[in-house]
Amino acid sequence: MHIALITLLAATEEVAKAGKSIGLGVGGGLGAVGAGVGIGIIFGKAIEAITRQPEMRDEITQLQWLGFALTEACFFYGLVAGLLAAFIV
Amino acid sequence: MSATETGGQASQGAVAPLPAPGAPGAGAEAPKSHTKRTLLILAGIWIAGIVVLFLIFGSGGRNNAYQPQNEFKLDTWINLGILSINKAVLYLFLAAIATCVTMIYVARRMQARPNKVQTAVEVLYQLMRDNITGANLDEKMAKRWFPFIGTLFLFIMFSNLVGYIPLPTNTEHKIDIFGLHIPSFSLYAATANLSIPLVLALMVFISYTVEGVRAKGPIGYLKGLVPGGVTGGMAVFIFGLELLSNVMRLMSLSIRLFANILAGHLIILFMAGALAVILGISALAWFTIPFGIALFAFEVGLVAALQAFIFATLTAIYLGGAVAEDH
Repeated sequence: MHIALITLLAATEEVAKAGKSIGLGVGGGLGAVGAGVGIGIIFGKAIEAITRQPEMRDEITQLQWLGFALTEACFFYGLVAGLLAAFIV
Repeated sequence: MSATETGGQASQGAVAPLPAPGAPGAGAEAPKSHTKRTLLILAGIWIAGIVVLFLIFGSGGRNNAYQPQNEFKLDTWINLGILSINKAVLYLFLAAIATCVTMIYVARRMQARPNKVQTAVEVLYQLMRDNITGANLDEKMAKRWFPFIGTLFLFIMFSNLVGYIPLPTNTEHKIDIFGLHIPSFSLYAATANLSIPLVLALMVFISYTVEGVRAKGPIGYLKGLVPGGVTGGMAVFIFGLELLSNVMRLMSLSIRLFANILAGHLIILFMAGALAVILGISALAWFTIPFGIALFAFEVGLVAALQAFIFATLTAIYLGGAVAEDH
């Protein structure tokens, strides 16, 4: 137990580096998962809506791009948090 | 298969509209196999290049000297205290000049029969007038705020687009051209720096708050944050939540634009060779360059205009929400 603790303390820098890498990975990775699901839902629903009401295509397309960009931004929030963890904190 | 076939026939129809009437089958067959063969040859060159480059150069080991984050570092070029000129300021001026020059030039030379540039600008104008302001604001508000929202849209779009032109702005590394030391070419955008989107978002925040206070008075504006019909403790809670969300709008507006552009630049940088430099594997650069080109096209074609559109649309929505009678 003692030896393990000492080794851990000796490797603090390595641990900090590993933590930063994990932060970047989790921020980017989980952000991408969430945004990916969201973007998929948006485009799927837009296709559904257009097949139901083709005459509203233009309006639906505009809303679809609005939703796409808003959802995609969530990925970047995760990525920015990861980059902050990896390079600044 | 059928897609290639129709594509081949369409291109054949466009390029050579008069095939020999005696052999229609041969005429349709030739371009298809031609396209296919070209693609196969390109893929072959690509894969062979990876293998050959890896066999020749191998792995040079990790390169710790190169710091990719320095591509986004702002070195002071001309020291003027708080108004120092650096890379971001240069890009800001470039975007401003591009916006003004293009729009004034087109406005001065309006013609009844528009040329290509004028048509493009007219499409943009129609988008700003009908889809961004017209759809989200009532007539009076749209008239008053159209110049602001239109300028935001155009400025952000030009700023993003200027950012994808390689310019000699990287003063950290120099390259020699006929004995002339010039900074190496790099991509950067004013909007890839948090401060500029943040200032734009602050402008939007102040505009819609002032507009809301002017329309309803300070007390009325704060009351208007709570939806009608909510009373008691719930109203206090929702009021706090709405105040918080107003501040969060600042963050979300600025970070959305900043992070989109920054991530676009970062991934283009990595795909165009930084990854290979860091890992010291030359073949990797050859491997990633097609992805780099595809991402570049995606960023220029979609993201640059889409982010400007989102920023302007959200500005219009916030302005409309601030003066709306019912929340």
